[in-house]
Amino acid sequence: MATDEPAVRADEVSFNYSKLKVLDSLSLQVPPGVSFGLLGPNGAGKTTLIRLLVGLIKPKSGSIRLLGQPPSRRIAHRIGYMPQLHSLYSELSIIQNVNFYARIYRVTNRAEREQWVEEAIRLVDLWERRKDQVMKLSGGMKQRVSLACAIVHHPPVLFLDEPTVGLDPELRVTFWEHFAYLTSQGTTLIISSHTMDDAAHCDLLAFMREGKIIARGSPAELQQATGKPDSTLEEAFLYSIHREAGNGS
Amino acid sequence: MVPSQAFTIATRIVNQLIRDRRTMAMIVIVPLVVMSLIGLSFPESTVLDYIAPALLATLALFFSFLLTGISFLRERSQGTLERIMASPVSRLDIVVGYLFGFFLFALTQTIIIILFTIYVLDVHYYGELWQIFIFQIVIITGAVNLGIFTSTFARNEFQMVQFIPLIVVPQIFLCGVIWPVEQMPDYLQWLSSVLPLTYAVDGLRDIMLSGKSLLDVGLDLAVMVGFTVVFSILAAVTLRRGAAS
Repeated sequence: MATDEPAVRADEVSFNYSKLKVLDSLSLQVPPGVSFGLLGPNGAGKTTLIRLLVGLIKPKSGSIRLLGQPPSRRIAHRIGYMPQLHSLYSELSIIQNVNFYARIYRVTNRAEREQWVEEAIRLVDLWERRKDQVMKLSGGMKQRVSLACAIVHHPPVLFLDEPTVGLDPELRVTFWEHFAYLTSQGTTLIISSHTMDDAAHCDLLAFMREGKIIARGSPAELQQATGKPDSTLEEAFLYSIHREAGNGS
Repeated sequence: MVPSQAFTIATRIVNQLIRDRRTMAMIVIVPLVVMSLIGLSFPESTVLDYIAPALLATLALFFSFLLTGISFLRERSQGTLERIMASPVSRLDIVVGYLFGFFLFALTQTIIIILFTIYVLDVHYYGELWQIFIFQIVIITGAVNLGIFTSTFARNEFQMVQFIPLIVVPQIFLCGVIWPVEQMPDYLQWLSSVLPLTYAVDGLRDIMLSGKSLLDVGLDLAVMVGFTVVFSILAAVTLRRGAAS
């Protein structure tokens, strides 16, 4: 991939479930090594967009490039994906779950795999409980295990679908510390959320509504766009909605 | 296909089920209870001798289909299948991995049923025991793939359970388990000829009651293998559809 190539690129992507249009000619570019937030209310199309970007579903029209290539199994080992559901094997222990995903993502060297599994579990601060069955963990701990499963193979691009949903404020802060660490290591993060608390932590944001991106930029740029110096991101989002409605009418 | 990936999936399923002790106990106890009831309801040993091959085939199909269908559906509903689908693993690796993982438990149930039938219910048979096992293995391989394929069309456990009367029960009535296929109307005979249990019952009866070899029942065996291959392909082809919904 050329250095100026976006880590993730979508051009004029549309998708619909039967007659329901979920994404409408959506385009975005995510530069490498940043945290990119997809912000919007439930039903805005965030999860569908992430599932398209990781290659689980195909767009009806438009094109997608991940690290300069179309999403496919060939490039899947360079992608991390943390779905909205915990998506863990509840009968297995934390270490068994993380080890399974390391193997699935082709971390074939045993010594390297053991090291990476330990690193991932330590990063989410669960090493002391690594032998516990997932079914015995709290919701927040399952989220942390799910994150460890997504990062264990050191993917340069990581998709996180509502990773902070259901987390208490303390754990939410911890998660954002993890994310900041990952971006500092050069990982590109694409994070969906419907809370503006999350938005403030991202380097770049795209506000989504009804299958479209209605505004994009850094949090500061989006706040400045409202014309009010002390505006919040909630106000920036509402401003974007009104502006979009004005353009559409 | 990458065999190590399929092996990783199979190993994970085995680890998962082994750690679920209640399920493990049920896998062993349920066939024993069912076979005991069947034994008690057929006090005439000659009747049981005749019906045993059909029962072995039917129970192998039923238990394997049910175990796999429900387990695979769980993979879909809890999102783990989707997570694997986003990984570099191919659909063929997934189907083969699940096949081997579930196969081990389906085989355990089948071995329990065969040994209980022969040594506890004292059913007489003429063919070779190892050939009965081989034939049963072909049946459960097909049933495991049928379970994976069928679970594609179910969104929850309730829907999956509805497939039992739709897929298993008609085969019990149409495939020569209760009465001979030849006594049925022509259109039902035709229907029976496209159902796998017909060939499973026919082949197993020939081995157990007439002492025929696997070579003698080659046609039944070939059709069963054919069904298995078709169900495997259908399971692999429809995998993305289920995961994406």
